[in-house]
Amino acid sequence: MCFKNLPIEFDAQGKPFLRAGVANPYGPSSAMPRGAPAQLTPDRIEDLLKRNGFIKDLDFDPVTRVAGALAFHTVVDFRARKVLEARSVATLFRGYEVIMVGRDPRDAIFITSRACGVCGGVHSVTSAMAIEMAIGCVPPPLGILIRNIALALEFLYDHPLHLHLLAGPDYSAAMVGPTNPSLLDRARSAPAPHAEIHGFRTIGELMEDLNPLSGKLYLEALHMTRVAREAYVLICGKYPHPQTIVPGGMSSTITLTVMNEMFIRLAQFFDYSKKLAAIWDDLTEFFYEANPAYQQVGARRANLIDTGIFDDPQAYDATYAGAAAWGERRWATPGVIVDGQLVTTDLHALNIGVEEFVEHSYYEEWSGNGQRQRFPTDPVGNPLSPYHPWNKVTKPRPQGQNWKEKYTWDTAPRWDRQSMEAGAYARLWNTAVARKLPQNPFIESTGTSLKLRLPKGALPELELEWKVPAVWNAFERNRARAYCTGFTALIALNNWLAAMERLKQGDTRTSTPFEIPQRGEQRGVGFWGAGRGYLTHHLTLDRGAVANYQILTPSTWNASPTDRWRQPGPYEEAVLNTPLLEETNDPEKFKGIDVLRAIRSFDPCMPCTTHIHSDAGVITREVNTCACGIDDEA
Amino acid sequence: MRVIVAGVGYRNLRDHSVGVTVADRLLDRRWASDVVVEDLSYNPIAVGQRLEDEPAGRRFTRAVVVGAVERGGRAPGAVTAYRWDGVLPSDEEIQRAVTEAVTGVIALDNTLVVTRHFGALPDDVVVIEVEPGVQEFGESFSEPVARVVDQVCELVVRLATDAEASARLPRAALGGMVSAPRAWSAG
Repeated sequence: MCFKNLPIEFDAQGKPFLRAGVANPYGPSSAMPRGAPAQLTPDRIEDLLKRNGFIKDLDFDPVTRVAGALAFHTVVDFRARKVLEARSVATLFRGYEVIMVGRDPRDAIFITSRACGVCGGVHSVTSAMAIEMAIGCVPPPLGILIRNIALALEFLYDHPLHLHLLAGPDYSAAMVGPTNPSLLDRARSAPAPHAEIHGFRTIGELMEDLNPLSGKLYLEALHMTRVAREAYVLICGKYPHPQTIVPGGMSSTITLTVMNEMFIRLAQFFDYSKKLAAIWDDLTEFFYEANPAYQQVGARRANLIDTGIFDDPQAYDATYAGAAAWGERRWATPGVIVDGQLVTTDLHALNIGVEEFVEHSYYEEWSGNGQRQRFPTDPVGNPLSPYHPWNKVTKPRPQGQNWKEKYTWDTAPRWDRQSMEAGAYARLWNTAVARKLPQNPFIESTGTSLKLRLPKGALPELELEWKVPAVWNAFERNRARAYCTGFTALIALNNWLAAMERLKQGDTRTSTPFEIPQRGEQRGVGFWGAGRGYLTHHLTLDRGAVANYQILTPSTWNASPTDRWRQPGPYEEAVLNTPLLEETNDPEKFKGIDVLRAIRSFDPCMPCTTHIHSDAGVITREVNTCACGIDDEA
Repeated sequence: MRVIVAGVGYRNLRDHSVGVTVADRLLDRRWASDVVVEDLSYNPIAVGQRLEDEPAGRRFTRAVVVGAVERGGRAPGAVTAYRWDGVLPSDEEIQRAVTEAVTGVIALDNTLVVTRHFGALPDDVVVIEVEPGVQEFGESFSEPVARVVDQVCELVVRLATDAEASARLPRAALGGMVSAPRAWSAG
């Protein structure tokens, strides 16, 4: 029984059904999130601002060192040093859902890739998987293995980039010095426990080399992004927008030479992963020891969601009916964690619990007013909400910003009506506790941790152990991302070995021929992941063309606004719980570093195509800030 | 003396594709062995790494970089050419440029700032900017930009092959002569 709020129960065979006697099962009052935190009302905040001089607005616009356009509004009590209101604002519209309608579904692989200039390939594959499911096309084993390796390589680009280019500077001497000088003084004499792995004698030295632009760790991360990118290009042809992803596999030609060239690059991440884990262990423990209040920076309930990734070629059959089974055979287990407890690993339960709300978003409601719900059930008869992506229609309605009403281009996705967060760490957490990991020599799921046996390089062989954390906060997000680099490299290694075995047997087929049916209606969903976590594309085809296309990205979850129940989105909740530990009492000198650490720990990635609207809300032209300008106007 | 001629921009984004189109057209020409033409419309960090890959002693000594840049204050189709003075913005701005570079933004200014900061650009950089008129999906240029594309190609050829011609250009900050009308311009 994984649903606590939605009136969904399971029969003896585990088949979900709507509880009898609930007149409007998906109505706002039929299923309210219980025990969730709530934002203060805008009226209450206005009143506090009027009556107290020490309570002030503090806006971060834009939030820098994130991908894409994010702004953040807070109201801060400088006397109590806490945040009273937090509002996450996606300032640009991602119009891919509108762009895709009426197109040949194969276009989606190339068009939706442009949603992100960091990890476009993940969208390509998710799209290909949605099409595969809709048309019934299963990739051959080598195609699945290469797809897994490609995804791992994208993460090996993404994680170092985030850790040492985007989030890392928040912990650098250049940032800690001005905001917390006493902490930097302490760091300079604090020995680094893992010096033999990362090479920094003190935490202060480590902080110096996290300095942006000049620090060795910053520059090394730039170099490692190149290594991962080169490896990716060897098997996918192009980065970040591959041309080799097709429904039914990959169009690349994979040879032993390609595999060996790729391995030379992959192997560099074994040592680098050891170093990353050691660095983020040392940084995290230093901050906790210096001031235990840092454990509250970015803290929120451990509510995590992930679809799982990296398929088992023996299990993946591209069907929705089989998703519950093939999902659990993935190298990263799908799952939903609520308040730190794993409640399901079943992709069907995960999928039917998803809803998207737009009360505070610049969109019109698509349900209600007597409109028929397009799909009352999923393809195997499980109940679906009218707010589910397969039922959602994107209806942009730009308007003025108003905290009481609408203030963001992001929607509010919820699972079982709860605010969930996505990230690399959800992957680790689910896999660690579910104990469904395939047998392999390198990674072990213990039920409370993941053991990672990283091969010898310049550094000796090393076993890392990521343990499910007791607190969930900004530091643990970054630490988990560092460990996830090793986890990812080892998954790539497992898949590389399996692919080499296939090649040795003469099995070089990477794709399955397919045709797009020109009759009838089909549905599919790609359950996949970005470096930042959860990624789904829900697709409906009608007579060979896209009738509906809905993308749900990790940052849609994480940057989501407050919902109709006043439940804040993950960034908002994390910032509301963040104490202001910066060493200044002068609001004019205040940099908001703790708030920024909280936000950046999620690795925000705001999909980056902007569409400019006329007053009537019709898209008239666009500004592309992503890597390629292939989008059509709607 | 080795010269790289580089186009920077987006494909299929009408006037903002001018850098890419110029590079494509010039690739078809016959060049002396010391001139390399490339489309550098990708992550500027990767562009820098590509330039650094040239072996010692064969690093490029001059770059001629062309692309559309919306500066405002210029008519659509206006062409501005100058030798970049190489002055970088503040560290904060460079950090922003790096963030944009690694997260997928392709822009002429960004490419120059990032590659200069990391020491990948040659000292001698000639910039040719075209003021775009429209920014939307499509393969065709607006009329004012279409009118100058051939002229831009010829200008690039001259500045890539005639050191004296490029030396005659004024040195200017990014944006060239927008606020100080000293650089060569046409259109």
